[in-house]
Amino acid sequence: MSIAVLLILAIAAFLAGMGGSYLGIGGGVFLIPFMTLVLSVNIKVAIATSLIGVIATSSGAASVYVRDHLTNLRLAMFLEVATTLGGIAGALVGLRVPELFLYFAFGVMVLYAAAAMARVRETAKERAYQAGPEPRLTERLKLSSVYFDREDQGVYRYRVQRPVAGFGVSAAAGLFSGLLGVGGGFIKVPAMNILMRVPMKAAVATSNFMIGVTAAASAFIYYSQGLVDPGLAAMVIIGVFSGTNLGTRLLEHSKASNVRFAFAIFLTAMGLAMLLSRLPGVSI
Amino acid sequence: MQRRVSALRRAVVAEVEDINRLIYHILRGGVVVSVAVLVFGFVLVAMTGRPIPERSIPPRSLGDQLYHFTPEGYLSLGVLILIFTPVVRVLLSLLSFVKEGDRMYVLMTLIVFVNLITSLFLLA
Repeated sequence: MSIAVLLILAIAAFLAGMGGSYLGIGGGVFLIPFMTLVLSVNIKVAIATSLIGVIATSSGAASVYVRDHLTNLRLAMFLEVATTLGGIAGALVGLRVPELFLYFAFGVMVLYAAAAMARVRETAKERAYQAGPEPRLTERLKLSSVYFDREDQGVYRYRVQRPVAGFGVSAAAGLFSGLLGVGGGFIKVPAMNILMRVPMKAAVATSNFMIGVTAAASAFIYYSQGLVDPGLAAMVIIGVFSGTNLGTRLLEHSKASNVRFAFAIFLTAMGLAMLLSRLPGVSI
Repeated sequence: MQRRVSALRRAVVAEVEDINRLIYHILRGGVVVSVAVLVFGFVLVAMTGRPIPERSIPPRSLGDQLYHFTPEGYLSLGVLILIFTPVVRVLLSLLSFVKEGDRMYVLMTLIVFVNLITSLFLLA
């Protein structure tokens, strides 16, 4: 690997870390195509390196969010049960469903989530605590929480709705991320924000907290097969971690509705890429 | 009575603050230590004059490599430290739930931890 390649990778990793910490994703969806298409890295090595990057993003961003009381630790642990189970199931059972169907199904789902996020602006009023009963499971597991929004200096309590549906989607996310080697944040954030009615910033923070765990299991497998290139990994770790410093600050000072809208744009791009990438003749 | 309640609330917030701070330091510390070991590995690369290694060392051979101060060994160790940082974090969460006496979450965290360890050793 030449120095130029390593430096370019570090810069790309910085952007991935910044974007990842802002959106609640690991940055794998940026880094893998970048490494394979621009730097001509072998796809398996790219996935391995990207998983390392996801862990670094998660550690860098989640640490800040946990300290600033954005993360919902209980919800994270509850959903992590789902994602780790899904990850193991995916690794063991293998892919029974044809890949084409998976990409199509997820592409559609992602686009639907993007539309849902773009349609409704997340205002303070919408984030406000909604009176009424919370689901029994939420109550028993004490999932509901509160977060402090630095942008408008507001303290927002929220109830976690539909925890069982959220659990199911997280299990699917774990399955999918095991196959692709991504953190799964692009599914987790909409699942929390749209499905479970968690405010956007809390959803981003909680997702960042979770993806490190999801990535660690897969990362070790790639590592033991010798697929991790230490030079690439080192650049990605340093770049990504530096990026999270900027990204977390951006998130905390942004309007929640802007974060949600940015995420909707990202999801649209992802959904389109997913649907189009499997068209015959297209290579992404 | 009011004072007792607010004192209790302050104590709980202090506890939560503590755990959050600890998680903050563990997560960031993990990355910092990982990078430090990686830098050491690169120093070894420069010292031995060999090309930068392109593969990671499987865990079994790692001890031997570390003992002999090979660049591959320490670069691989740096990567391993990063991979295990979230695992340490899960352990920390486990301890904090045990301390809180929250049995439901102790169980859930245990499940996550076992899942992690399982996927580590099952497919490695």
